[in-house]
Amino acid sequence: MPSGVIPGKYFVQGDEAIAEGAIAAGCRFFAGYPITPSSETSETMARRLPEVGGVCLQMEDELASIHAVGAASVGGLKALTISSGPGISLKLEGLGWGIKNEIPYVVADVQRAGPSNGVATRVGQGDFYTIRYGSAGGNHSIIALSPKSTQEAFDLTIDCFNLSEIFRCPVFLLTDETVGHTRELLVIPEEDELKVVKRFKPTVPPEKFVMYPLDTPGVINYPFPNIGEGYGICVSPYTHNSKGYASTAQDIQEKMARRLVLKVTENLDKLVRVESQKMEDAEFAVIAYGGNARPAVAAVDMAREQGMKVGFFRPIIVWPFPDAEVLKVAEKVKNILVCELNIDGQLSREVARASKGKAEVFHFGSGGVEPHLPAQISNEIRRLYK
Amino acid sequence: MSTVGETSNVLHPLVEKYLRKERMPHMACSGCGIGQVVHSVLLAIDELGLTPKDTVWVQGVGCSSRITYSTWVGDNVDAHHGRMFAVATGLKMARPDMNFICFTGDGDCGAIGGNHFIHACRRNLDVTAILFNNGIYGMTGGQVAPTSPVGAVTTTTPYGNIEDPFDMCQMAVAAGASYVARWRVTDFKALTNSLKKGIQTKGLAFIEVLLQCPTNFGRYVLKTSNPQDVLKWIKDHSVSQKEAEKLSKEELAGKYLIGEFVHRPERTGIVERYQEFLKTYQKY
Ligand SMILES: Cc1ncc(C[n+]2csc(CCOP(=O)(O)OP(=O)(O)O)c2C)c(N)n1
Ligand code: SF4
Ligand SMILES: [Mg+2]
Repeated sequence: MPSGVIPGKYFVQGDEAIAEGAIAAGCRFFAGYPITPSSETSETMARRLPEVGGVCLQMEDELASIHAVGAASVGGLKALTISSGPGISLKLEGLGWGIKNEIPYVVADVQRAGPSNGVATRVGQGDFYTIRYGSAGGNHSIIALSPKSTQEAFDLTIDCFNLSEIFRCPVFLLTDETVGHTRELLVIPEEDELKVVKRFKPTVPPEKFVMYPLDTPGVINYPFPNIGEGYGICVSPYTHNSKGYASTAQDIQEKMARRLVLKVTENLDKLVRVESQKMEDAEFAVIAYGGNARPAVAAVDMAREQGMKVGFFRPIIVWPFPDAEVLKVAEKVKNILVCELNIDGQLSREVARASKGKAEVFHFGSGGVEPHLPAQISNEIRRLYK
Repeated sequence: MSTVGETSNVLHPLVEKYLRKERMPHMACSGCGIGQVVHSVLLAIDELGLTPKDTVWVQGVGCSSRITYSTWVGDNVDAHHGRMFAVATGLKMARPDMNFICFTGDGDCGAIGGNHFIHACRRNLDVTAILFNNGIYGMTGGQVAPTSPVGAVTTTTPYGNIEDPFDMCQMAVAAGASYVARWRVTDFKALTNSLKKGIQTKGLAFIEVLLQCPTNFGRYVLKTSNPQDVLKWIKDHSVSQKEAEKLSKEELAGKYLIGEFVHRPERTGIVERYQEFLKTYQKY
């Protein structure tokens, strides 16, 4: 497969970096439906995918695009789809099919202010739980990474593709309008510096191959044979046995549900991705993710200048939530201020849960449109710092 | 050989050759028309020499899908309810070299999946889609379908259906499919030949089959559980295009037209056009 990687330095938006990251990861299929603030990724894919012999389609809606993406992956192509708020709501319908059939692909969510159509062109962070719990029926884990910069949008997109192959599941890139539309430096390295995981292929003949390893639920790096490879695969919406045949038996449902959860929860050590700054002597922590991490870091620096012992922590992997790492933060400090762009309190709720009462957790929210200003956050730190 | 009174374990040679024996018997109600359509499909596949290596069965959700799903000895890809055409689009674009035989129901294709159906026709996606039209929601227990006749009493239209049925063949023609035809399940030979023609035609082949669902259409709409009565109803409510020419508008009301509506093999579709387009734009 031609790599099509274009090493060099670029001044581009986060959304464009997602497209380049996808191509570098070997993505050769994209299907989407235009929506602000994600359309720049679709536009970049429309220009770049044909160059590398890939398929780029604008479908009739988000339902079609996520199903086409899942199907293209079953067909053997690494695949990406992208959307925002209203489109993500639609994509959740198709997500379950990908989760249940253990299909590797990547979904990027460029969050905007919601609910409903909200403010199309401006930032929000309201989809934190939507992507985790939005696919009805439960019984699954979700993997989601969240970049804070254009460079991370590129790097983490590759990481998402790799994790989707390693864990055989759809993986989210949970980004937001701030990152999506921030134009800054992107360095695309030489191809041989990139770590790209290829699809795992069976090493045993079809009659010996188990399509769905229900008896070894924690197994990862597990092969996914595609159509046309002689494995006679079965993909469906129904609860399946290890061959993919529909079943209504409780023990099969139990095994399948455990497989979809445990393949992630039994491998948490492979999923730790967090950032800490100035936490060594911190008595107060600020936690934020995605684009809102940028003002949070600036606010921590302002607080330090004012003599307050404040540190910064950021979950780069937001799902599965880095409970153990957040607990370590909570054990170190008295107070945690969680800054996020929603009023209902999403990240803060997870932080409070993971902190197990070791620190007091405060939600500093905004409905979105603008990211937090560093001064707003530093004022809040000063108010709460004891 | 089994004797009269014993259950036969002998499988039809086409089933032996192409279907997974461990998945037999399939789960259709007795007297259901789905098996008859599958027979035609297998015969068409056999006569054309398609193989499990180069052919994939794709389904939506509903009786036709649930009964055919994971029975083909090759690959089986069953979509969510309504998403068959979206899934077929991803599959075919990823593997343009393979054949896709797609099964869908009248609710799957005409209601929840209507938009994907229209756009698959517009793109003229090179797959063969077989619409199992039983005029009702079979799998979920006899609810009204977008194909149910006016006046039909179903479990969700206890006072009779007030909406006009959807002619999906007309829609497929208007939206751009290369090949569109409608048959009764009893038109075995015509259906088999049409399937062969459809599979061989580049672009979307959309073949609708009117078939009997004694369990739900029979029970609720016709107040019978006898498959023959449902078949008779289909016969009485359908006319060939040729016969139709002699009938007045009034005589044609409520009748299905039977036959081939369009065959335009010269019309290209997205699969060919994309491959052509890559010749110009692929750089690496
Ligand atoms: C999203 C969604 N909505 C509803 C259902 C329930 N459902 C399953 S099959 C079906 C109707 C199928 O009707 P049709 O396509 O005509 O197929 P038939 O069973 O008659 O062959 C419905 C509503 C579902 N599985 N998924
Ligand atoms: S409910 Fe109707 S369509 Fe479904 S299997 Fe039974 S007879 Fe066939
Ligand atoms: Mg039906």
